Amino acid sequence: MKRILILISSFFMFSSVYSGGGWPQPKGKGYFKLSEWWVNADQHYTLGGLKDPNVTTGLYNTTFYGEYGFTNKFTGVINVPLLSRNVVNNLISGTTNEIITPGEAINSPGDAEITLKYGVFQHSAISISASIIFGIPLGENAGGLAGNLQTGDGEFNQIFRIDAGIPLGGNDAFSAYGNVYGGYNLRIRGFSDEIRYGAELGIGIFSQKLYVTGRYDVIKSRNNEESGAIDGSFFANNSEVTSLTGEISYQITSKVGVSASYGTALDGKIIYAAPSYSFGVFLKV
Amino acid sequence: MKYYKYLIILLFISLYSCIGDDIVEDFVEPQLRFITALDTIGIDETIQLQVQFFNNVGRAEDTEVSWSSSNDNIAIISEDGLLWAREKGEVIISATINYEGEAIRVEKVIAVDEETIEVPNERMGSLRSTSSYALKGDFVLTSTETGVNLAFGEDYETDDVLPGLYIYLTNNPSTVNDALVIGEVTTFKGVHNYEIDDVAINDYSHVLYFCKPFNVKVGDGVFE
Repeated sequence: MKRILILISSFFMFSSVYSGGGWPQPKGKGYFKLSEWWVNADQHYTLGGLKDPNVTTGLYNTTFYGEYGFTNKFTGVINVPLLSRNVVNNLISGTTNEIITPGEAINSPGDAEITLKYGVFQHSAISISASIIFGIPLGENAGGLAGNLQTGDGEFNQIFRIDAGIPLGGNDAFSAYGNVYGGYNLRIRGFSDEIRYGAELGIGIFSQKLYVTGRYDVIKSRNNEESGAIDGSFFANNSEVTSLTGEISYQITSKVGVSASYGTALDGKIIYAAPSYSFGVFLKV
Repeated sequence: MKYYKYLIILLFISLYSCIGDDIVEDFVEPQLRFITALDTIGIDETIQLQVQFFNNVGRAEDTEVSWSSSNDNIAIISEDGLLWAREKGEVIISATINYEGEAIRVEKVIAVDEETIEVPNERMGSLRSTSSYALKGDFVLTSTETGVNLAFGEDYETDDVLPGLYIYLTNNPSTVNDALVIGEVTTFKGVHNYEIDDVAINDYSHVLYFCKPFNVKVGDGVFE
């Protein structure tokens, strides 16, 4: 349970920032976004995939995301939770109204990601890119009195990912695209590696001012480490999730827009069973 | 300039995530319980009887107790709970307290005979899971010279996947509030036991398993 927040946090943030899919940024072009993402959960999926209650726990991230095309093939991406807040509720007696267990909260930067993305194959029919993503553990991995509050997982990891983007047609008023990806998350410090894959469908309408995207994402643990035994938390390890996320982006001007998303886990293991939300402001240059 | 507005709004929402409240339904029926384990008292002997009151959240409370005997010819009990056996027979000893305007009473049948016999210092029960995590097995609580011994048999089994799984003795199976922490669970299958000092055999009503760092109840077992 200890790592659930971190997993779901990094997962949804990871999936949300790769909307560019198989297409790297053109040279000198960039996309920057400041967003708020949060999840608040009072139940979780157990190791057996069933739902059990837990003390309501929340994670709130204020994140800066930026991608910039160094060349037409190389894009650099940075994803930094500037402020991450992990909150656990008070437990209150329904009979006496006294506090049984006081809640807690910690605030710190969250775990960051730095990505190098390379356009392997560019064609009007399909565009393929390869990425390597470095996870930087800037967050707190054992905060609070019991060490159960976290804004990071405390490990350097590397994700290798391939994206294939397909234009699905369009004109000045309308466009659509699809993207599929597969990745491998190489983890250390006793964490099992992960296989990640998913698909995204995006539709632009109203002269492409409004984009609606839907994502299907899967994380499967390779179960190649018995325990994330660094801090005695088994929940650090072998978490899995299948999720759906919907996002709407509206371009207010040619450079500035806003976006909002809703994500939900369809099933999972050792992960919170609660929806996540986000909204943000983005800038295209 | 207008972008600063968005920035301020975002940061505000981030900081606005205050610590909320989760309500635990922790009501239990108030209970007056005999602590003294006595079955038979010898003629002309005196024994101090003790009861303990546990309120509507299972918390022990000191309160004024009224004692009575069903037959003063067989045994007399003082207003302080001192029992004096006078002749052979059976007598019902009652203890009554007043809690929030209601009388709560407990009775115990005690025989008067040639010599004093304490009831077997043993209570048993079975674990049950109240979550998706495994928890099962029978247990026996017995008195020792310094406290009690809580022993689990071969059929005991629980999950080893929880971080910080702790075992408690409690009078309220819904919460660890006021519960006695026995310790972190390190045996997940089979025979094992805990020696617990300074605890009487009737002090608690339940064994409780809780994931301590996350306040998640795993299961419990009631002492029969």
